[in-house]
Amino acid sequence: MGKPEQITIAFDVMGGDYGPTEVVRGAAQLSLESPHIHTLLVGDRRLIDEVLAQTKHNGERLSIHHAAEYVGMDEKPGEALARKPQASVSVAARLVAEGEAQALVSAGNTGAGVLACARHFQLIPGVRRAALATVYPTRGVRGEKQDPFSLILDVGATVEATADDLVAFAVMGSAYARIISRNERPKVALLSNGVEPQKGPPRVTEAHARLLAMPNLNFTGNVEGIDIPKGTADVIVTDGFVGNVCLKMLEGVHDTVMELAQYAYKESLRWRAGLAMLSSGIQRLKDITDWEQYGGAPILGFDRIFIKAHGRSRARAIANAGKVAAKAVAHELGTAIREGLER
Amino acid sequence: MSLPDRIDPRPPRRIYRWDLDKTYLQTEFESLRDLVRTAFQKAHEKTAVPGASALIRELAANGDSRLCIVSGSPKQMRAVLEEKLKLDGVQWDEFVLKDNVGNLLRGRFRALRGQVGYKLPAILESRVNAPVEAEEVLFGDDAEADAFIYSLYADLIAGRVDERVLSQVLEAGGVYPDDVTRVHAAWKKIPVADPVRRIFIHLDRLTPPAHFTPYGPRVVPVFNYFQAALVLLADGHLTAPQVLKIAVEMVQTAGHNIITLSNSFQDLLRRGLPLQQAAIALSQALEGPNALFKAMRPVPDILAAFSKRLAALGTPPPPPPVQAVDYVSLISHALPRNHKARTKPAT
Repeated sequence: MGKPEQITIAFDVMGGDYGPTEVVRGAAQLSLESPHIHTLLVGDRRLIDEVLAQTKHNGERLSIHHAAEYVGMDEKPGEALARKPQASVSVAARLVAEGEAQALVSAGNTGAGVLACARHFQLIPGVRRAALATVYPTRGVRGEKQDPFSLILDVGATVEATADDLVAFAVMGSAYARIISRNERPKVALLSNGVEPQKGPPRVTEAHARLLAMPNLNFTGNVEGIDIPKGTADVIVTDGFVGNVCLKMLEGVHDTVMELAQYAYKESLRWRAGLAMLSSGIQRLKDITDWEQYGGAPILGFDRIFIKAHGRSRARAIANAGKVAAKAVAHELGTAIREGLER
Repeated sequence: MSLPDRIDPRPPRRIYRWDLDKTYLQTEFESLRDLVRTAFQKAHEKTAVPGASALIRELAANGDSRLCIVSGSPKQMRAVLEEKLKLDGVQWDEFVLKDNVGNLLRGRFRALRGQVGYKLPAILESRVNAPVEAEEVLFGDDAEADAFIYSLYADLIAGRVDERVLSQVLEAGGVYPDDVTRVHAAWKKIPVADPVRRIFIHLDRLTPPAHFTPYGPRVVPVFNYFQAALVLLADGHLTAPQVLKIAVEMVQTAGHNIITLSNSFQDLLRRGLPLQQAAIALSQALEGPNALFKAMRPVPDILAAFSKRLAALGTPPPPPPVQAVDYVSLISHALPRNHKARTKPAT
């Protein structure tokens, strides 16, 4: 095997709940772990250097591009980017577009990230709207890596998707799962209110018919909400409105279960003993579904790679998001999507 | 007037002092297994740190210089180490190795791992015979106590450290009385001068450069020897074509590329080293007709890459201030680390 290609990943350092400290630490970790990945840290130079001064890193694989401004997590993306042309996420997207880096990673304001990409990147021919994907832990595993996550897209970038958009999302999600999860033929499904082909609004039924006619896609039909945590499909396709509602609901259920467990722990000695007996199993479950190992989820549809890391990402998640981005670049995700759409 | 019957070589204008393990040679001795493997390696199996031999050769090519090596390797390894240096085309003037067998037989167990009591007298004694005007550049690494010992050496001969502080440091460093005597004796013989221009610390363990801030701007931690070459270009020890030769060797033999080199350049700028003129000199050298620089051309446009890295910083930070080094409080840097501390990542 030859030496891996040298890849530069731009990090929007100022974004995220723990930026810039944890983002810089994650990039520093990446500089130690992955010799073929170079990191371009975009943000306030002084703050970045302050963190690097205390963090083990490899200076040969890391550089800084100063950006004096940033978009806060609570700011309105459009207004903020208009007011702050030198915002770190915007500068980072521009640098990727100019070829200074091959992919962008941001844990910051999602809307600002998508908007910055829309301004600086091009949509892949055949893609009308970009899709924000996310990974969700499931009961089933998939691919060479025994990946316990399924991919759901779109979860908010395109609120009203047409049948064309849903077909493009299916192709993009399939290409991503094939490359990142090393899942040769990922099972792709449409989210609907029934498994029958005729179930769902016209855009879903039309997309269903068209996806069935795509022999290169492993389209398995419709799935219902209940199938998401089961892991019935590897890639679940929906529009941004439904996807976002589903995602928030799943997060809400997860948070409620955790709160109930905490309540049980405090409430009764017997429940506490029961939880203690289950603790190793619970820990294993936590390990398996640890989203930090996945790093981030992609914004698909642009000619450049953008990995959106979770807002709560700490160093390990950031480093892993960088690795996911590098993998997507090395396996030419954009080309895979383009080819999938041409068929 | 009759001619002398012997013409002495010209006194050196510059002295370059090098450590070997982890500074010149890529050496692993984190475990007993590593130690054994290192001890039995043949000369051709030993690997130099990328760019190190090229840097030494280019520094020597300017003439009027001496290469003095003081290594913590045992004397029994002299033959294999000398052979390695010869294989690399490195010519030395002094080569001091540690008498570990002697230390063992005399029950001087602290001296087996201690660095202060070994290196400090060795380099002071070497300086005794140097011309007072000969300036020095020292090369060490972050695995042991090089930054501390070299800085102390520089400040001792510059008269910036008094006898009381020296005694405190030697005592805290666990230096044996006979070595303390050697330190004092050599120190007294050296005329006061301020010859040490730079101390380069090769970051073999990737210690964050800021760890060395207490030693002031004279100490420059480097991730690679291209960085050292850039600083030596700015300091007037190397010319731009010589720096490019070192870069070419690193590109051709160690997998360096335009990104690692330009990142290395920016790393130094971010630490306040004024390298803008050095970058201009490099660009002018690239314009020359020399065939060697045409070999750099496949590595696309080094000048453009450097300019981008410079522009990317906005306003580069000012040079760090010169400050007095507090050796008594820094002595912990010079004490041998236990295995656990050595392997613990510095985050």
